Amino acid sequence: MTGRDTYIREEAQYIPARSSIGEAGAAFLELSQVGFSYSGKRPAVLSGINLTFAREGITAIMGPNGCGKTTLTKLMVGILSPASGEISLEGRSLQEYTLAQVGRRIGYVFQNPNHQLFCSTVEEEIGFGLTHLGEEPAVVRERVDFYLDYFELSPYRDQFPLNLSYGEKQRLAIAAVLAGEPGFLILDEPTVGLDIYREKLLEEQLHKVAELGRGVVIVSHDNKFVSQVAERIITLENGQVKWDSSWRGNNDHEA
Amino acid sequence: MTMKLDPRTKLVMVLCITTLAIVYNTPGALFLLLAATIGLLLLFRINLIRVMGYLKPYFMLLLVLFLAQCIFTPGGEVLLAIGSVRLLGTRGLLMGTTVVLRLLIVIAAAVLLTTSNSRDFISGLVQWKVPYEVAFMVSVTIRFLPIFRDEFINVVTAVQLRGVELKKVPWGQKIDLFRRLFFPVVYGAIVKAQQLSVAMEARGFRAYPRRTYLRQLYLTRWDYGLILVFPGLTLLLMGLHMRLV
Repeated sequence: MTGRDTYIREEAQYIPARSSIGEAGAAFLELSQVGFSYSGKRPAVLSGINLTFAREGITAIMGPNGCGKTTLTKLMVGILSPASGEISLEGRSLQEYTLAQVGRRIGYVFQNPNHQLFCSTVEEEIGFGLTHLGEEPAVVRERVDFYLDYFELSPYRDQFPLNLSYGEKQRLAIAAVLAGEPGFLILDEPTVGLDIYREKLLEEQLHKVAELGRGVVIVSHDNKFVSQVAERIITLENGQVKWDSSWRGNNDHEA
Repeated sequence: MTMKLDPRTKLVMVLCITTLAIVYNTPGALFLLLAATIGLLLLFRINLIRVMGYLKPYFMLLLVLFLAQCIFTPGGEVLLAIGSVRLLGTRGLLMGTTVVLRLLIVIAAAVLLTTSNSRDFISGLVQWKVPYEVAFMVSVTIRFLPIFRDEFINVVTAVQLRGVELKKVPWGQKIDLFRRLFFPVVYGAIVKAQQLSVAMEARGFRAYPRRTYLRQLYLTRWDYGLILVFPGLTLLLMGLHMRLV
């Protein structure tokens, strides 16, 4: 993969220096006493969530079906608003940001790729965010070529995204978000539909993203994948944080 | 009382209202019809504020439609122009208002249908000897209205999460963007319809004539009354309208 190797060497130039992204280790996204329920229904999907995410490292959110993992990530990017508690992004309330402002800081890969693919061709899908943010056409083309090559989507360059297979759509959704080079990434079930080889590629890419000083949160049921990529594991159960591996270094307590 | 109306009665009422919406072509008459439809919704104890929130994503499309009609309909007196370039004429304004009011009436009338279960629509229509396939298509169409809405919300959310500030995009680009987004939304709904038909067939679904129904619908006096009054009133109003025109 020559294209990828070249890009890996040159990628640093696309990424703002860590100092301009924000101080590593400082709270980038903070949830305090967050609760949520759909249309006032009881019981609440989430309650009393207190979590802090720094713009570094890879965190995995795990838990059984229906425990509120996807809802939690949707709250973290502002698609949903908390019923109680407060979420802050870079020290400011998330409610002060528009969805687009959040989108420029946090890249979000939906659980279902069909929900985030909206362009007429695969190529356009990857370059959409960059083009609309006013990137130079040459930069857009280079980055699109790299991600097409990296996720082996080049043969589908001119195809309609919704006509691809599930696994291809998943790769495209991840590529489209990664292409925007956001400072923080949230991926909801990114390995669903990926074969072992593509899972490995994603793993490599996530490590590389983290090495460049960007934070990553993945929601996953894939224990093997999580154990290989995540440095911090948060477990949800019945809408509450049951376990956070970062507690270990903090008096080793459990909720 | 009103909530217990037969779904067929509601369907007749909606057909009458939408027929009038198509026949009327002046903003005044359409506005009165919209007010009457909203009155009907209140009678059905439908929470209008909740419906408005539900329909919020469509308002942008209505605005785009209104502007497109205003700008591209020729004729009438010029209301706004830059130099010799005409931007808005009286006829365009009239057309824009008419189209938007007409759509609002159709949407408001369609809300009436949401007060009945889609299964009741099928069994009601089948009891009226409408072929099962046709009755099923009507019910699936009703079922797909919220899917269109969800698809549109998903697309708009996804676009914004890629960093595009939709509110700040210039109007020319915004119209182009919505035009481009419209295709995937429609295509997505078609794909879902295809998947639905495959899933149904895979479970052995067929519209056999021997199909039986546990629940039988019965028309009450209110139903009979409204089924007679609504078409009668519609014909009368159409007659009056033709005379005036």
